[in-house]
Amino acid sequence: MKKSLLFLPVLMFSFASVANAHGPVRQKADQEITINAPAAKVWGIIKDYGDMSWHPAIKNTKADKGNEIGSIRVLTLDGGTITEELKKYDADKMTYGYKITEMSTAKTITHAGNEEKVPVLPVDNYTANIGVEAKGDTSVVTWKGAYYRAYTNNNPPAEMNEDAANNAVADVFKAGLANLKTLAEK
Amino acid sequence: MVLRLKRIPVTLAIVTALRCSASLAAPYAYISNQLDDSVSIIDAEKRTVIYTVKLSGKPAGIAVAPAGDKVYVSTPEAHGFSVLDAKSHGVVNKVTVSEGALGIAVDHEGQRIYVADWYNNTVSVVSAQTLKVIKIITVGESPSGLIVSPDNRWLYVANRGSDSVSKISTETLTVKQTTAVGKHPFGIITTQSGDRLYTANVESDDVTVLDAASMKPIATIKVGSLPYAVTLALNDSRLLVTNQTDNSVSVIDTETFKQMAVIDVGEKPEGISTHPDDRHVYVANWFDSTVSVLDVKTLQVVDTIKVGEGARGFGQFFSK
Repeated sequence: MKKSLLFLPVLMFSFASVANAHGPVRQKADQEITINAPAAKVWGIIKDYGDMSWHPAIKNTKADKGNEIGSIRVLTLDGGTITEELKKYDADKMTYGYKITEMSTAKTITHAGNEEKVPVLPVDNYTANIGVEAKGDTSVVTWKGAYYRAYTNNNPPAEMNEDAANNAVADVFKAGLANLKTLAEK
Repeated sequence: MVLRLKRIPVTLAIVTALRCSASLAAPYAYISNQLDDSVSIIDAEKRTVIYTVKLSGKPAGIAVAPAGDKVYVSTPEAHGFSVLDAKSHGVVNKVTVSEGALGIAVDHEGQRIYVADWYNNTVSVVSAQTLKVIKIITVGESPSGLIVSPDNRWLYVANRGSDSVSKISTETLTVKQTTAVGKHPFGIITTQSGDRLYTANVESDDVTVLDAASMKPIATIKVGSLPYAVTLALNDSRLLVTNQTDNSVSVIDTETFKQMAVIDVGEKPEGISTHPDDRHVYVANWFDSTVSVLDVKTLQVVDTIKVGEGARGFGQFFSK
């Protein structure tokens, strides 16, 4: 396919800068879902940081150090890859946190006369955490993210503005939690 | 007429810096709620929000005039700052400065407002009387936190993108010196005597201690993950640092430079300021949209106050 041939070199040389300046306003995403299954069962599905197969958008996950702090996982999606670093892991509290360290480019656009690379997830400086809490025989899973829009300068293009970032993250969270519920309630 | 700041006796300036100005009754904390486009006004006696001011432009930075009558709130998306009247709670002025206005500070005589510009790598000097830009000073990349020395002679700027601090003479309005600190300094504070500076370095997870006179580093102190802002309490003997991704505040003994406690606060703590009693410290928790009240003597969270969405409170947000 023509598109994937073009995609490859771009993927190799362009990564979203995460340590970048961010004058823009930080955004947040906060989703939760109640699952009719014990917390231990739900946690059992998500507890392996190196296995994100519970999320329908993730085709493959590879982590270099399992659930050890600093473990780097590479998530493969339809549109490219997202690389994340495990920042926190607490099995007793059934929660972990991570941040995106690299992303491949989903597409390149022209904005204000410049070529701009839109990352797979159109965000910058993204951190998130996910956790399970027991509520009797059921459980509540909370997924929280904090991030900036992908465009770090003034006047963002539509593909890289706050709406694009918020919608993309909300979609990831919703799809993941819905599928997690399906898997856990089986 | 512009007051010649250099001629103010040093003793007088120090008295002002010691938070002794007898102007208003209760101290107030002003918390910018960026995602809510508002500022929460907390009565620090009652520890409750007494008023929420709607204020467009994604408010971020806060500076309170020394007399407590005006509050300056940077509004990055409105490219400047708003002036809040502390009594009427109304926005009395909107001042356009430049496109990336973020860090904001006011001098100890209430004469000048300093605004750091994230995109332009500048600090604008604004007259508090005319609200006109007097001068634009080029500093390092992505200047963030600003603090004025207690004697009013210096303005210190944390340059996030350049990993440095600029020391600006308030007399000549030029950069006198720039010194390297840790990676990505964001918040900055000076001691009450003005002898030291502390910067929170977001990317190197530490605090740099500088000798303010020589601008030479004295120490580097490891703290938690993504430290954001700093404040001092108990007669400068304690340094408190918000650790954004740890959801905690590090408490450091400033004599030994050792971390003596880590206090859990809300999620994604950002702005931090010390109550005029010099014992209580308020922390804005961005993700939770709350303010944690810490007692630095007992090292406990003594209260949590609900504020608006995306609380930042970046700057010296207490009235005296």
